Amino acid sequence: MNIFNNLKPLSRLSLSYVCRVLPKTRLQSLSTGKCNLCKAMRTWTQQRCSVFPFRPFSDSSDSNYLYKAYQKSDSSDRYIREKGSPQDFTLDVLVALLKQENALDLCVVKVPEQISYAQYMIVVSGYSTRHLKAMALYAIKVYKYLKKNHDAHVKIEGKNAEDWMCIDFGNMVVHFMLPESREVYELEKLWTLRSYDEQLSNMPEEKLPEDFIFDLEVTK
Amino acid sequence: MGFLIETSIKVQQRTFRASSAAAAIQKMTRVRVVDNSSLGNTPYHKAPRVIHVYTKNGIGKVGDKVLLAIKGQKKKALIVGHKMPGDRMTPRFDSNNVVLIEESGNPTGTRIRVPIPTQLRSMDGDYSKVLAIASSFV
Repeated sequence: MNIFNNLKPLSRLSLSYVCRVLPKTRLQSLSTGKCNLCKAMRTWTQQRCSVFPFRPFSDSSDSNYLYKAYQKSDSSDRYIREKGSPQDFTLDVLVALLKQENALDLCVVKVPEQISYAQYMIVVSGYSTRHLKAMALYAIKVYKYLKKNHDAHVKIEGKNAEDWMCIDFGNMVVHFMLPESREVYELEKLWTLRSYDEQLSNMPEEKLPEDFIFDLEVTK
Repeated sequence: MGFLIETSIKVQQRTFRASSAAAAIQKMTRVRVVDNSSLGNTPYHKAPRVIHVYTKNGIGKVGDKVLLAIKGQKKKALIVGHKMPGDRMTPRFDSNNVVLIEESGNPTGTRIRVPIPTQLRSMDGDYSKVLAIASSFV
């Protein structure tokens, strides 16, 4: 994949996406005709003559198209795609795509090994609910493109919430929040200072009620 | 023959009371709110009680949403631990723990002190937010 070598990771990502989705576009002149992905796409997408926008804002039509692409791909296309797919969905990919989406206040916290929850906790802010939703959907789109067959699908949690959305990608968890709710919850503080967090220490101590009787329950 | 008479007398003396199957959290159970929300922590003369369980049968296990009556108001909550033993290799708690939740699914409190079971992560549902504000896992 010679066209991929000299590009920066960000544009490499976008180019590979473009290669997959836009079969007959001006990309042919850019790539010296050696983009195997585009070649394979050209053979069976004769009926699809329309040019899709580079990164469409409505996700439903495009994801349908992507799904059909997976279904119709013959063995040769799959082989080429595996050879050509650049990288796994790592932290770098996620951070790059969030930066591309103009995410505000991107914060990545490495979760300590003892907590077997995830490896990285990422918190990002957005300008508005629409922005958060767009970022989340784009992240899912890129994940779907880069994932292998054995990786599970990922869903957006909190779709109907206005200010807080979550995505759990196995080894990483992303939280998309509005700045106001970010101030309220202070997730970065909690995940960096695990037990030394000030909100935790401000919580009043649990007191047993006066009429508490401790009875030892023997389970079967 | 005498033996048979003895057993029949014993059978008559035995009284059975058929009660419902032992369940984890159902209507009218008193629960413990474990987050640091003001609604859950201010004292009230009645303990928070479950008034509805949002499952097919009226039994709530870890990860199920319930409706609580707290301080004279209705509030949705998520069950994060119950006293009834569950699957093997899942934690059993000494109290029925619950985390208050809004209609949107956002937790009402901002921190949870009590350990939260990690099986919530693999369950179907929106639990990442509750896991994000938890301070310890079990």
